Amino acid sequence: MRSLRSLSLILIVVAVSCSPVRTSKLTSVKHDVKIPDWESPFARDFDKAMFKASLDVKGKHLSGIALIKKTSDTSFHFSFANEIGMTYFDLELWKDSYRTDYVFGPLNKKAFLKILQHDFSILFFTGSFCGKPAHYLDPVTLDDIYFYSGAHLFAYLGKDSRKLTRLAGWSSVVDASLIGLEYTQGPFPSGINILNPRIGMLLDLNLLGR
Amino acid sequence: MNKIGLFFVFVFCVFLQFSSSGQVKALPAADADMVKKSISDAARSTTSLESGFIQTKELSVIKEQIVSKGTFYLKKTRLLRWEYTDPFAYLIIFNKDRIYVKDEDKENHINIQSNKVFREVNNILIGAIQGTLLQDTRNFQCSIFDQHDQFRALLVPVNQKLRETISEITLYFSKSDYTVEKLVMREASGDYTRIEFVSKKINQLIPDEKFAIP
Repeated sequence: MRSLRSLSLILIVVAVSCSPVRTSKLTSVKHDVKIPDWESPFARDFDKAMFKASLDVKGKHLSGIALIKKTSDTSFHFSFANEIGMTYFDLELWKDSYRTDYVFGPLNKKAFLKILQHDFSILFFTGSFCGKPAHYLDPVTLDDIYFYSGAHLFAYLGKDSRKLTRLAGWSSVVDASLIGLEYTQGPFPSGINILNPRIGMLLDLNLLGR
Repeated sequence: MNKIGLFFVFVFCVFLQFSSSGQVKALPAADADMVKKSISDAARSTTSLESGFIQTKELSVIKEQIVSKGTFYLKKTRLLRWEYTDPFAYLIIFNKDRIYVKDEDKENHINIQSNKVFREVNNILIGAIQGTLLQDTRNFQCSIFDQHDQFRALLVPVNQKLRETISEITLYFSKSDYTVEKLVMREASGDYTRIEFVSKKINQLIPDEKFAIP
């Protein structure tokens, strides 16, 4: 029993240390306010979107055009090719898994693709349905931050816009990710950047059209 | 076999006959060599080439297209300016062994020997436009087809490493001036990219500044 308690303690410490956001630096909101409904911009009526894309990982820089298409209620397709048209990635993504239709040789690493899948899982498959969150405020921007401990997820809602501006999540030490969403017009983000600080990966997506 | 069975066998045989006669056969080696020589001669007499292009990337799995447009400038020897204007500005200049990439505000200088992807892109683009890929027997097996007003050159990589990325390249040459009109690059993934060349200007003056690397 004691060893079980010790193990639980270790797991909690590990889980907290994996988090890309430090709650100690946020202002906790104690009063009980209604948690607003929010969802991924890729939910509901999303069909497809084309982005100017760049990926920086381990000192390599790749650029080109990416296309994200909803292929079913539970899956998305991510294609990324360079400007000349040669494919880097062709992935089918589900909440907890992925299928590689094609991955350019040097990028075809299982651990890396799993991290990418997890990053997209945060972007595509999260929403206020993720559980009952703890409520914080960003001390600088005053954005509302909702922490869903069961889903290992932080969701930031803009103070005035009420739009989803940031997602942060993790499932292990190596796949903590920070996702920033920028809006110029309309409810769909014009820019998305996915940062995975622990492996030094940055995927930048700038909307070209839907 | 009953009459209905015999009828279906007959229809099947007729279908096979038609489908096989519809296939374009590769030119015999002697004719293919003559076409290659004409393409090579045309390339030799071409000192510069300027053309617009429409590039269509077909994503086979999700049945979608990505269309890009731009202009390229080619000048002897091994100077190429490949410039996208739509859906966004992107410029690549190949100047002998040096490559310059301008992606919006970001500029990048690359040595062709140290970057495998750009080396392949450079070889394929320049080789396709000048038709020299047809002579590259070390990397490609080439078949030539006579197709209406064009010659179609099918290039299948023999190099295993290259075949992991590209399954075949098809070049379409005009029968009137033997310059390339269309390039289709089929990838191992099943996707393919089609580049159609439009408004070609052959042997017009292109200033060297077009290929200058800042």
